[in-house]
Amino acid sequence: MAKAKSGDFGASNYRLFKDRAARWGVTLGGILVLITLLLIFFYLLYVVEPIFRGVSVDAKRDFTIPKDGEVVTLGIEEQSEIGYQFTDTGVLSFFALESPPGNNWQPGEILLREQVVPTTPTSFTATQPQNNRYAYGTADGKAQVVEPKFRNRFVAGIRSTTPYIEYVNGHDLITVDREGRALTQLAYEYDGESMLFAAVTADGTVVTNYLEAARNFLTDEVELKENFNSLNLTGPVDQLEVTPNLRQLLIRQGNRLHVYDVSTTGKLSERQIISVDRRLGDVTTMQLLAGASSILFGHSSGIVSQWFEIAEEEGRRYQYIREFKAADSAIQEIIPEYYRRTFYTVSAEGELGVFHTTSQADLYRGKPDQISAERVVIDPRANTLLMYSGGKYHSFNLENEHPEVTWSGLWQEVWYEGYPEPEYVWQSTSGSDDFEPKFSLVPISFGTIKAAAYAMLFAVPIGLAAAVYTAYFMSPGVRKVVKPTVEIMEALPTVILGFLAGLWLAPVIENYLPGIIATIILVPSAIVLFALLASNLPQRLRNQFTDGRAALILLPLVALVGWFSFSMSPIVEDWLFGGNVREYITNELGITFDQRNSLVVGIAMGFAVIPTIFSIAEDAVFSVPKHLSNGSLALGATTWQTLTKVVLLTASPGIFSAVMMGLGRAVGETMIVLMATGNTPIMDWNIFEGMRTLSANIAVEMPESEVGSSHYRILFLAAFVLFIFTFAFNTVAEVVRQRLRDKYSSM
Amino acid sequence: MISVTPTSSQAEVLDLENLTAEQTALEIRNLNLHYGEAQALYDISMNIPKNRVTAFIGPSGCGKSTLLRCINRMNDLVEIARTSGEIRLHEKNIYDKDVDAAALRRRIGMVFQRPNPFPKSIYENVVYGMRLQGVNDRRTLDEVVERSLKGAALWEEVKDRLNASAFGLSGGQQQRLVIARAIAIEPEVLLLDEPTSALDPISTLTIEELITELKSKYTVVIVTHNMQQAARVSDQTAFMYMGKLIEYADTNTLFTTPEKKQTEDYITGRYG
Repeated sequence: MAKAKSGDFGASNYRLFKDRAARWGVTLGGILVLITLLLIFFYLLYVVEPIFRGVSVDAKRDFTIPKDGEVVTLGIEEQSEIGYQFTDTGVLSFFALESPPGNNWQPGEILLREQVVPTTPTSFTATQPQNNRYAYGTADGKAQVVEPKFRNRFVAGIRSTTPYIEYVNGHDLITVDREGRALTQLAYEYDGESMLFAAVTADGTVVTNYLEAARNFLTDEVELKENFNSLNLTGPVDQLEVTPNLRQLLIRQGNRLHVYDVSTTGKLSERQIISVDRRLGDVTTMQLLAGASSILFGHSSGIVSQWFEIAEEEGRRYQYIREFKAADSAIQEIIPEYYRRTFYTVSAEGELGVFHTTSQADLYRGKPDQISAERVVIDPRANTLLMYSGGKYHSFNLENEHPEVTWSGLWQEVWYEGYPEPEYVWQSTSGSDDFEPKFSLVPISFGTIKAAAYAMLFAVPIGLAAAVYTAYFMSPGVRKVVKPTVEIMEALPTVILGFLAGLWLAPVIENYLPGIIATIILVPSAIVLFALLASNLPQRLRNQFTDGRAALILLPLVALVGWFSFSMSPIVEDWLFGGNVREYITNELGITFDQRNSLVVGIAMGFAVIPTIFSIAEDAVFSVPKHLSNGSLALGATTWQTLTKVVLLTASPGIFSAVMMGLGRAVGETMIVLMATGNTPIMDWNIFEGMRTLSANIAVEMPESEVGSSHYRILFLAAFVLFIFTFAFNTVAEVVRQRLRDKYSSM
Repeated sequence: MISVTPTSSQAEVLDLENLTAEQTALEIRNLNLHYGEAQALYDISMNIPKNRVTAFIGPSGCGKSTLLRCINRMNDLVEIARTSGEIRLHEKNIYDKDVDAAALRRRIGMVFQRPNPFPKSIYENVVYGMRLQGVNDRRTLDEVVERSLKGAALWEEVKDRLNASAFGLSGGQQQRLVIARAIAIEPEVLLLDEPTSALDPISTLTIEELITELKSKYTVVIVTHNMQQAARVSDQTAFMYMGKLIEYADTNTLFTTPEKKQTEDYITGRYG
């Protein structure tokens, strides 16, 4: 009884279930979409985040080794398992840093100890870290060059490492000063074949020996030919350096630096004398940076200044570029990294500093674990830091993955080595090892905006005009065919458009440039002229032109004007531009002309964007209520007046979002810009030059970037920026659309 | 059964068949209209007198709105519509080839069933027609706005918020605004297509009073499905049925002593 009654009011269980299932299904779908978006967003951030992390220095362990005299330099082997030290007594000792599985060592255990110079040395020098050679100078004007080396053996898949010492030139010492004077200071470099020694003798003379490598034609052996030279400078020499390309000799006397060119036969000629600005404090030390085109000066004020060569009228000259506040006391030592432009400083008070020159990043300053550093060394992979302090060794784990990337470096002008001024540059790779990757997102963001702007310039007028015509003037029958046809264009794979643009359109534009420009000017003019003519016809004739019959006359006219523009192109080219417009533009006007240029992209990408704009704008115009346009017509408005004063106003929210959707599409578009732009990351609005966009940049470089590298993460950042771009455009579009709709919505 | 008694103060009864040129606003002669294959109007001929209110009544689909739309050529906008016959305004057939429809509509204004203000301010709505003609002088426009809104009995209600959006007005106010907009360009004829069908009774009454006042300056043609309204506001009434003009007479006469059986059946509520 009760059952029967309740059944009268309640819906059937099945209907209730369907209703609920549908509601949950829709909710779940919506939530999943949001979650997916958030996941993409956070994954991008997760990959990008490490590049903005600072440097961390964590103590690993400390140990002592038997004393052999004063330590002059330290080194670490590539696996960070073995360290070594050179002392002022000429002893090279290798010691264990770790207890690796292949070797049964205790940290601090001496693995190899050898007196590398027969007599007590008078001077010592180390090459740039990547060359890994060390030289002792002796009291009789000679030098011993050694190279610490490591042999890896694999037993049952486990690596064991043994150190050994390679003596350059055997155990024979190389003569630096022919007169046999004691070498009080020494500099040495090696470019793979030739070597250059420079030394200061006991009587203050600077002597050099350029050992020129020459290949023996018969035996194919490399023979070294000695070239001696000497210089007499007034005043004592504080420091000597030789650049690793053996082209320059740097002699520091107090705050002055003499730069000498070294010829291929070892001849010296003075190029420049740098007087370091007093403001920075007295120079306490000097160091060449990795890649060796920069000089770093340490100053008594705790400042480190960077100098590099810039092309000037009188040739390349060293110039002050930037400075770092590294410590509060004098800089004692500057240690460059092996491959990157990062350097480490040790101050008189034992403060450690980590900096990156190009990105101008202050990565670390302080005393890790409260230990005052005396000497510091970094391993080749820059993840272990070995510090010598008070007779004790301390090893640290160093986390410094992406020193070259800073937020400001990505978005501001950066002064790269060898560049005459700070610039926005994107250049991620090059052939040379000394190359420093240049990551500025500005040129590629600019490229994105430039490509989108030119595409919109082409697509907005055509797309909107077509939309208005189709929705407002076209007869319903024709509209039924035209609208789906244009919308199908949207489904055209953009790779085909890109392919056509790059291989067919670009050469056509290059060959018929006057024709293209004439078409852009003449076709709209012809249409306007035609309209003017038609509106001046007598009313009787004008009444014939209703419902699209005008288009039947206009279309052949447009075709005719287009044909005329192209066929007169070669004639105009001969007549006005001496037969070749491209050469005329380049030579006479001084405008760079690339075959794959913004004009091509504008047209090709415009073509891809037109359907988006057309489709949305057409819907917007078409859905303007008839009673509004009728109201206007009934007041004696012409169709054109009704269109401009009522219809477009009412459709403006839709038209605006159509343009913004088009812009969003143009910004994110990849294949067309990839294939038709030439992908040159330059910053120039010139329509005849290409560009590189964020999306194309990711597509081009992602396959070649090493996973986890700065490059890889910056590409993710570029993706994130692209995401923000489209997100911003769509948000602005939606907000403006809502506001317009509140204002102009019809009833 | 409904008995309809005309209430409006009727003017003198005219001989609708034989109007003098001065008395005539429009002459419709043998007007036929086809929508594609279907014929919507059959051979309509009638004279519409000047400065009077003429009502078209009839059941839904009888062609009364279509006929009204022929008068200002709004049917031109319907692609499949074809007309034959003549509608003469000052002896000139408006369907002649040298007549510009837009120019014609400036002289024959129209108000639609649903209020359709533009998404603009009240002020801009009223001056829309003036601006179309290139009048932009502020003083002239101000005068037009005041005159038209007063003419449409809306001035007192909106004079303090002329720059507010027209969408803020009530339905009845919007319809009066639309009338103000139509009379701002001083047409000769004002066509009203069921102007009160979307309004409440009080707004309807206001509009009806307005119509009675409007006839002193304009010739008014009103389509209505509401017979009481026709009786209240019009001077003469045309009854249409199935695209044909059945009877056209002085309103009093039509409602009290109709000549045709169909008319009588309709006004007494037998169908429609």
